[in-house]
Amino acid sequence: MTSPIRPELVCPAGTPAALKSAVDAGADCVYVGFRDETNARNFPGLNFSRKELGEGVAYAHARGAKVLAAINTFPRAGQPQIWHQAVDDAARLKVDAVILADIGLIGYAARTAPDLRLHLSVQAAASNPDAIRFYAERFGIKRVVLPRVLTVQEIAAINSRIAPVETEVFVFGGLCVMAEGRCALSSYVTGQSPNMNGVCSPAGEVRYSETPEGITSELGGFTINKFAHNEPAGYPTLCKGRFLANDKASYLFEEPTSLNTLAILPDLIKAGVTAFKIEGRQRGRAYVAAVVQAFRQGIDAVMAGRPLPDMDLDRITEGGKQTTGAYEKAWR
Amino acid sequence: MGQGQARAAVKTAPPPFSPILLLGMALKPVRPQLLQPIFDSMLGIIRRRHPDILERMADYADKPVCIDPTDLPFVILLDPDPAEPRLTVRREIDPDEVAATIHGPLDMLIALAEGKVDGDALFFSRRLVIEGDTEVVVALRNAIDGAGIDLIEDISRQLGPLGRPFRGLAGAAIGLIDRLRDDFEQLRASLIAPAVKDVDAQTARIAALEGEVKQLRKAARRGGAA
Repeated sequence: MTSPIRPELVCPAGTPAALKSAVDAGADCVYVGFRDETNARNFPGLNFSRKELGEGVAYAHARGAKVLAAINTFPRAGQPQIWHQAVDDAARLKVDAVILADIGLIGYAARTAPDLRLHLSVQAAASNPDAIRFYAERFGIKRVVLPRVLTVQEIAAINSRIAPVETEVFVFGGLCVMAEGRCALSSYVTGQSPNMNGVCSPAGEVRYSETPEGITSELGGFTINKFAHNEPAGYPTLCKGRFLANDKASYLFEEPTSLNTLAILPDLIKAGVTAFKIEGRQRGRAYVAAVVQAFRQGIDAVMAGRPLPDMDLDRITEGGKQTTGAYEKAWR
Repeated sequence: MGQGQARAAVKTAPPPFSPILLLGMALKPVRPQLLQPIFDSMLGIIRRRHPDILERMADYADKPVCIDPTDLPFVILLDPDPAEPRLTVRREIDPDEVAATIHGPLDMLIALAEGKVDGDALFFSRRLVIEGDTEVVVALRNAIDGAGIDLIEDISRQLGPLGRPFRGLAGAAIGLIDRLRDDFEQLRASLIAPAVKDVDAQTARIAALEGEVKQLRKAARRGGAA
């Protein structure tokens, strides 16, 4: 029997300070985006200039860590220039891989930067061996980030059929219940989406107002949730809105909850996953440091055959709640 | 509502019972203008040591932000214009004067500026309240978090040979405030203990009544079906 792969810990960084926090806390890889709509966290004040990315790559490489550039939105028809430029610059700045979703952009990267390692973004929604093998055989994709819809058993089955392609799975952070890369809820309300513009529920469309009953959140002028005074709040996305149905207000898509797989890390390692990804480039460096430290300890404990340490991440979760999501599909 | 913002649109939660709240009460008679040199110095440090904050805020140059430490009797107006930034201390600010306002206790705002706590987590837990233009608040949060601010280190670097003793003094002051905070927390818990006992008893009574209502509804449904 072969010994399990030691998974890479892939951590988010929205700023140079967060990149340093992630590397210092034990990240094997840090993923980042440029300061424009070429990445799915195109948030105000966030992301890296070319100069900052160059410095970030130097900082990480000097400490044995890798940097991955997420260029994972879909180029506008007929205007792919900034996406092409992002791939060119990522290669020039010597990132260790680019994370891409659009098939045309993947083709561009494979043609123009043959030495650049290509990872398939979760936004491409490749969730079966045939789709993954197509990307690998046609474009030389080395790793696929799996959508958050698969059980651990399904992931193990995929891994057994796609070698030598690696898989990366999300282990902590925000959850999308929609088909990754195809969600239109944000653009339905605001005209902007994570897929094309890199923003889900753009901050400019969000308003909070305090009322005697609590806080009301609005998106694009629509009330999407109301929280009582002591009720934990969540992100102002339509998928986490509360809707009135049969005279009852409830979460129809999903509740504000964070994914947390610390308890099932041994199962994910046994399933042959190559890399564990933490969501949250939009979060602060305190979040990055706390989650990276927790998962660093967790992975190291499992690999050393020690019991998982007891780590409380409640204080940084959305809505104050955690789930193992589709990995266990506990609702079935 | 913060002590310092007489005309806030948002009624924020009362500030926590802490040494800073008492300090805020003691500062009430002080004219904010007397504190302005402190904020001028702070802005100077930001411009010299963290120019990337204003660079990241360049798209929001004409969007002033009010920072409201809810336990102090004044508010701070940040004008993020990279060409002419200003940090002004005021007794009050009309919400119409600013694009957005951030309300929270002083120690939490400092921890946020130093990247010691996560802004989203504070918002989820409702300890941080924002109003107005969410975009400018998100931009400011990201710009400050990304700068890697360390207040004591930043100030001591500006003090030259006095930096070392300043670090020692600041460390001692933080230790003292932490000890005082623990004492205040104990005092607060003792003061509200009788009320907490009553609330616990009422909560248990409500839970029992809810259980009874559930049973009665079930029985009514069964009766209806028969």
